[in-house]
This record gives sequence, C-alpha cells and structure tokens, in this order.
Amino acid sequence: METTTKTGTLVEAEELLRARTHSPLVPLPIEVRGPEPNRQTPAVGQRTTRPDARTHGLGQTKYIDDFYVPGMLYAKIKRAGVASARITKVDTSEAEAMPGVVAVITGKDIPVNSFGPSLKDQPVLAHERVFHAGDGVAAVAAVTEQIAADALEKIKIEYEEFAPVLDPLESLKLETPGVHAPSANIYGHKLIKKGDIEKGFAESYRIFEASFRTQMVEHVPLEPHSSLAQWDANGRLTIHSTLGRITLGRADIARTLGIPMSRIRIIATVVGGNFGGKNEITTEPVIGMLAKKTGRPVKCTFTRPEEFYASTTRHPIIMDYKTGVTKEGKILARKVRLVLDGGAYCSWSETTLGKACILCAGPYEIENLVAEAFVVYTNKTMTGAMRGFGAPQVCFGYESHMDDMAKALGIDPLEMRLRNVLKEGSLSPTSQALHSVVVKESLLQAAKRFGWNVQGAGQGQGALP
Amino acid sequence: MVRVSLTVNGEKRDAEVPPETTLLRMLREAFNLTGAKLGCDVGDCGACTVIVDGKLVNSCLMLAGQVDGRDVLTIEGLATADNLHPIQKVFEEKGSLQCGFCGPGVILSAKWLLDQNPDPSVPDIRDALSGNLCRCTGYTKMIEAIQTIARERTV
Amino acid sequence: MRAFEFYAARNASDAVALLAQHGPKVKVLAGGTDLLADLKFAAASHHPQVVVDISRADDLRGIQMTDQGLRIGALVTHTEIMDSPIIREQLPALVDAAHTIGAVQTRNLGTLGGNLVTAVPSMDSGPTLVALDAIVTVAGPEGKRQMPIVQFWVGPRKTILKTSEILVDIIIPKENVGKPTHFLKFGLRKGQALALVNVAASFHVDGNTFKAPRIGLGAVAPTVIHATSAESFLEGKPITPENMAEAGKLAVNDAKPINDFRASATYRRDLIAVLTRRALEGAYELHRKREAK
Ligand SMILES: Cc1cc2nc3c(=O)[nH]c(=O)nc-3n(C[C@H](O)[C@H](O)[C@H](O)COP(=O)(O)OP(=O)(O)OC[C@H]3O[C@@H](n4cnc5c(N)ncnc54)[C@H](O)[C@@H]3O)c2cc1C
Ligand code: FES
Ligand code: FES
Repeated sequence: METTTKTGTLVEAEELLRARTHSPLVPLPIEVRGPEPNRQTPAVGQRTTRPDARTHGLGQTKYIDDFYVPGMLYAKIKRAGVASARITKVDTSEAEAMPGVVAVITGKDIPVNSFGPSLKDQPVLAHERVFHAGDGVAAVAAVTEQIAADALEKIKIEYEEFAPVLDPLESLKLETPGVHAPSANIYGHKLIKKGDIEKGFAESYRIFEASFRTQMVEHVPLEPHSSLAQWDANGRLTIHSTLGRITLGRADIARTLGIPMSRIRIIATVVGGNFGGKNEITTEPVIGMLAKKTGRPVKCTFTRPEEFYASTTRHPIIMDYKTGVTKEGKILARKVRLVLDGGAYCSWSETTLGKACILCAGPYEIENLVAEAFVVYTNKTMTGAMRGFGAPQVCFGYESHMDDMAKALGIDPLEMRLRNVLKEGSLSPTSQALHSVVVKESLLQAAKRFGWNVQGAGQGQGALP
Repeated sequence: MVRVSLTVNGEKRDAEVPPETTLLRMLREAFNLTGAKLGCDVGDCGACTVIVDGKLVNSCLMLAGQVDGRDVLTIEGLATADNLHPIQKVFEEKGSLQCGFCGPGVILSAKWLLDQNPDPSVPDIRDALSGNLCRCTGYTKMIEAIQTIARERTV
Repeated sequence: MRAFEFYAARNASDAVALLAQHGPKVKVLAGGTDLLADLKFAAASHHPQVVVDISRADDLRGIQMTDQGLRIGALVTHTEIMDSPIIREQLPALVDAAHTIGAVQTRNLGTLGGNLVTAVPSMDSGPTLVALDAIVTVAGPEGKRQMPIVQFWVGPRKTILKTSEILVDIIIPKENVGKPTHFLKFGLRKGQALALVNVAASFHVDGNTFKAPRIGLGAVAPTVIHATSAESFLEGKPITPENMAEAGKLAVNDAKPINDFRASATYRRDLIAVLTRRALEGAYELHRKREAK
C-alpha cells in the first residue's frame, strides 16, 4: 500500500523574514512532502519519513535564531546573581550612554509584571525583590550581541541580601520565612486516601521505611530558547518563538504587556528540542517591550548558562515511603509523603504535584494507601514541566524501595513485583478501574529479553541464587 | 577589523569582521549560512561543526581571522535539495533526526568519518560522533544509518 | 567575546616579537579550544587586549627524531599524535592519551602545547610525558631554555612562562623513545569527560626487574606529578603482580586528591591505587608483546 503524499507544495520564506542579501546556496523554495489535507491516510503499520527530514538534513530548517531581520537589535538580560534580595538601587545610565545601546528596561517598565501557567507569581523582570539568582533584573537592546553583553556590566544594581531558603524541608516548616511572604511557602498540596492504612500496617508481617531524593535536572534542549519580536504599523506584535504553547503564551504576553490577545501573533517554527522546558514564556514580554521602545525588531537567544539558571528544570523530590508487607511480599499498606522543591515560581508545579502523587504508589495493587504531596517555594531556579511531570522521580523512589524490601525478605525482585502488579480491573490509587493492563506481561517480556535469571516466574517460586 | 578571504563551499568569499568574531558567527551573520548552529559556544555540543581544510572542527572555537585563506565546508555545501549526499538520504529514510538541531553537525561528522574510514565499526562511529550531542534521538538510528551507507558503498 | 586586536605570527621568533611588543595584556592562541572558551567567560579585568595567533607558525609543528630524542612541536594536534607512525610504533601510550581528549573536533584543533600551557591538573597529555621524563623548550626575547616537564608547571593553570615567552617543543629523551609505557584515564563518561584520575607508568625491563620506573599522576595534585615513593620502591625490584599492587598503594600517598563535585578524595585515592597497578601491568604487557614479535 502506498501512503498518499502530496508533492509540489512550495514553502516560501516569509517576505518579512527574508534573510539578508546573500541567499543560501540551496535556494528556497524547496519541495516538502506532507499528507494531503482531508484525506484519511493509512497510518498504522506504515513506514514514513518525517516531512521535515529533508530540510533538517540539508541544514535548511530555520530555527528562531537563524532569522536575521533588517534593522534587528539583540537583547541581553542581566541576571541577579543573588538568591534572595531587595533591590535598593538601579542605575542604568552608564549602559544607556554606551554607543550601540538603543534601549534599557527594568522591571518598572513592564506594564503588568507577573505571569505563570497557573499561579501568576513570576515577574518578567524582577522589580523590588529578587527570588532566585537567575531572575532577570534589567534588559538591554543593542546593535550587536556583544555590545548588549558589555552593557549589562555597566548596569549598577544594589541589593539588600537576605538569607535564602534553599532546603525544601526547611521551607515546609511554618517558622521559615516566606519566600514570597506573606504567601505561604507551601503553594500546592494533594492528599489521596484509599482503604485503611492503620489496619493494613497492623496486619503486616514487616514494615519498611525509606527515604529517597532526586536532584534538579535541566532539559538541555540542543537549541537554546530564542525569540524575535516586531511590531507592525497597526500596533500588532508578532513574536517568533521557541515556545511550545502558543495560546497560553499569547495570554501571558497579553497580560504582561497590557494589550489584547488579538493583537499578539506567535509564530513557532520548528523547535530544536523542548522536553517540557519550552512550555511557557521567558523573554517574550521583555523583547516585546524593547521592540516597542526602540521601534525595531529585537531578538534574544539564551546562552547555554542561561538555559540552566533562567529556564525551568525538573523538580527535585524528597520521598518518604512506609510500606507494610506480608511474609510473601504482598503489599498491604503504603504511606508516602512527597516534598517537591518548587524553586522560586510555580510554573507547572501543580500538574507535576498531581501526577507524582497519583503515581507514587507504583504500578502495584495497594488496597490501603495514603499519599500526600506538598510543593514548596525555595530561592532556587524554578522547576516546571519535564518529560513525565513527576513520574520519573517517584518511579525511582518506589522501585528502589521495592528492591530493598525484596532483598530484606529474600524474595527475587521480579517475583516481588509480580506478586503486587496491577491487573485487569484493578483500582488505581484514585479508585479508577484500570483496563488493558499488561504490567505482568511487560515485566515477563522484559525479564526474558534481558535474561533475568528466573525460572517459573509468576508461578510463585522466586529463584534468587 | 580583520579582513578574511576564504573559500566557503567552493565559492570565494570575503568578509571584514571584528577580530573577536568566531568562524561560526561569521558564517551565520556575514555569509547567512545558518546550517551550523550555536548550541553551547564552548566546544561541547558539536552543533557548530564544520570542516576546515578537510578537518572536522568546532566553528565556535575558531576565530574568523584563523581561516583566512582556508577552505571551509558547511552543511549547505554538501548537497542540493534534489541531489542529496548519501548520508542525507539515508538519514532521511531511517528517521535519524528528530528536532534536527544537531543534524548539520552530525552529518558532517559522519561524512568526515566515512572519508577517513569507509568501513567503520560501531565503536568507530560512536567515537566519531562523541563530539556531537543529540538530546532527542539516542543516536541509534544515526549509527544504523552510517553503517548502512558504509555497507552500500563497499558492495 | 570582548574586543581585542588580532595578529597572526608567521613563525616562533615572530610570535615572541609580537608578544614582547604587545605585553602584558596579550595572549597566545594555538588551537583555541581552551583560550576561546575562557575568553567568552573572562571578566573584563582578565581579558587580553591583544591575541597573537601562532597557529600558522610552521616551525612549531612537526614530529621528528633529533639528536636529543623525539621532538614534538608545540603546535602538534592531538589528532596528529594519534596519526603519527613513529609515535604509534614507539610510544602508543601517547596515542591512547591523545585519544581520550575531548572529541574528534577538539582533537583536530587542540594542540599538545596548549594542553600543557593551560596546566589544568587533569590534562591528559601530562602523565605520559611526566612518566617519560620529557624535556620542554621555551623561547623568549632572551633566547631558548629547556627544563624537565615537571618544572614547567607551578600550580593549577600556572606555568613558568613569562608573557613574552612561548612553548616551542616537547622532547622525549632518546633513551625513553620506545620505553614500555601505558596510560589510563578514568572519567565519568567515555566521551567528553575530564579525568577524575589519569595515570601513566613507564619502565625498562632489566632481566626480570624494573629499571628506571616512572609513574605520572594527573588530577590528584595541583600539577601533574611523579609518584616518587612508588617509583623508588619499584627500582630494581622483580616484576611481579604483588610489587605492582604495592606500588599502586604507595602512589596514593604521593598524591593529594581533593573533594569536588566530580568525585570525593577517597574515591580518587582508590582509583590511584587501581589505575597505577593496571598501568604498570599495561606497560609490562606491551613489553611482552614486543618481545613475542
Ligand atoms: C569540549 C572540550 C573537551 C576537552 N576535553 C579535554 C580532555 O578530555 N582532556 C584534556 O586534557 N583537555 C581537554 N580539553 C582541553 C583542550 O582541548 C586541550 O587542553 C588543548 O590541548 C588545548 O590546546 P589548544 O591548542 O586548543 O590551546 P589554546 O586554547 O590555543 O591555548 C590554551 C592556553 O595555552 C596558551 N598557549 C597555547 N600554546 C602555547 C604555546 N605554544 N606557547 C605559549 N602559550 C601557549 C594560550 O595562551 C592559552 O592560555 C577539552 C576542551 C574542549 C573544548
Ligand atoms: S556551539 Fe560549538 S560546540 Fe557547541
Ligand atoms: S535531533 Fe534533536 S538534538 Fe538531535
């Protein structure tokens, strides 16, 4: 069978963005292939090539930083470098006076200086208060990237520094000063209860307790965040951006710039890796303001260090597990407490908290369960969405715990899992009846493929040497 | 300002750039060849890989002044849309690239490898790609593709 | 990168003249793999005003036998070391060391001289050259001078070079060309990782005893060092697995490893003992392979 494809579609570089006078050696337009609209194409079982594979291989795919617009300025953002402080003095005069610098803005220039995918707790540029070292405190637009970078050093900012809150367990305590006082440090909470854990623990042959921690992880997309803003004659703002969530981004930009969403157009071309790290705006309002102030297009691309301290990361989680089991290793009760390090701002913490809490029991049938999760502010780089929204962290927790228990009980670790896995119709921690459950089959397949040394697995005879 | 005259993808090019301009920046901004990317700017990621006088290098770690009189090959010089280099063709068929940002660098590293060694082993391929970070693919399909090309070439 | 003036030197004496003329805020550029990465992050106060590119000074290139020994020009790249027939034949440990540096792209640009002048304690070229008692030649406005390589470094990122001096070449003394030597590096990954510990061991086989044993240790002290107590222990001793293991243990005391984010000092001490023993075994293995031929 042939996959229906349509050839001959011409992709033309937008007039507006037509790069400088030199044309690339492979001239655009080029042909791309893609499915024909409104035609059901047989997808399952078909081998197909990506429609963007051709331009990728030719180096012709245009990512945001590959766009150069006539008259374009380059923006750079000055980072606080202190984790918690009050800004006492800002002096941008020396930077503004530098040849090649066209505009400098600070937090006070942002019409509505707060945004966020759920809680609007993040300033576009820190004003008065700094909440983590990667906070932007001022931004420069200049004719070259180097001049913009040099200008950052001429901006003088004075701080009254405070002791930062760095440990999530400290942050959890009521007596710890609020990162965003008067708001509490705990900004998200979820509690799941199922069955009767007291009864479950009372009937257990043994009770195991363990604590696990994961670290902060950066997405490191190979393409750094980048965006390019330009206003048109009718007061509409077009932003080319590496952003993955267009409508959410438009809403946030509209809020921060104080203009209706209908005046904002976001063009997200091909993204050089997202992994959850490009799900919210970063520099867009800043370059929007700079472009407005200068009347010129403005581009801002993160440096690799900025990716680490000024974009979201994966939540570190502190996981306390308590599990009661029978002599045969069947789990009777489990109590879990999760503390998520939310960093300075909420970002996608609520989603992460929810998923981590629902999934922290693992793919196991546990009748008596209490799972409780907290997410707290600390004066660190904000944590947000990253592949799995909390699932990888808790997986490390419950599977490590399982291995420890299996070892202590003298049961083969695979067998221990097989005795507890979810089955067709099992109830999830939130009492949802589960269907198409193939955990057991998957484990056995995997064990077979990587040669796990078990005979008669699943028949109740563990076979550890 | 330094004056640089060089050959880029077979064409003579001239540029006058500030001395601190890297080869990468000159390619991207003076010659509008944006195939080589800036991923880290310190030699770690290989997104900026180009070939200078037959040698695979990180263009973020060379100054424009250092390539005066030299011959530079970038991804744009490897082929045209209807006359693909075999590596580009097999990468496309195998789905070796996902977001594609690492692609120009990876393909040039693969070309350099196959020019040196027409029949590389998997460890040879891994070694040749160790300077090209890819965050999307896990490299498996790139390695398969390079092996396929080597096999097709040797028969 | 901040602005600087750029001059390309035609040869070594041209380079020295340019440096003397533009000092003290002047920097030499060879392969640029360390320098350009540094300049991109350097504070304004540490930034040079002038960069002298020596990468076209052909008299700083080349690998050849001289009366003194095997001469390796400061500008020889790590790839050129890996491809050199004489080094592959006589001193494969240098090939192994070069192969562990960065990746293809960095090895094609990075030079041996640059690696030694950068003087980070984890440099991968250091241990083998220390184990081979290499001599370095330095040139300045007053002429040339030579010294044993261990005297070239004075601390992390510090050498004896004055601003208008350059490193010209590295010489493996004649009697050590072909000396059985083995290099090992332990990093957290195989590719693109700095050494937690790197070790080279070298000795002549005299009957069945160690003669002129030398052990170079990297990443475990402010500079690359000789494991002197292990070396003197081995001198004249029979070549046995026990003596190699004992030398490994002694080498631990010759080092002063630190705790950092890559590894603890304790872990590094364990590595020193194991890698030193294995490097000695590797050198002996090379000797036996050659004998068998
Ligand atoms: C991604 C990456 C990975 C790396 N991995 C490793 C690794 O695994 N192991 C390792 O040891 N190193 C590694 N390095 C470091 C680097 O590649 C080497 O140290 C290299 O040999 C430096 O040589 P260069 O010619 O590039 O030096 P340059 O950057 O040109 O110069 C380095 C310094 O030495 C000075 N200099 C250079 N040559 C001379 C000379 N002849 N006379 C006087 N001064 C001179 C320069 O002024 C400068 O201060 C890595 C670097 C990168 C970017
Ligand atoms: S940008 Fe040059 S190696 Fe990453
Ligand atoms: S395909 Fe995305 S980084 Fe390689």
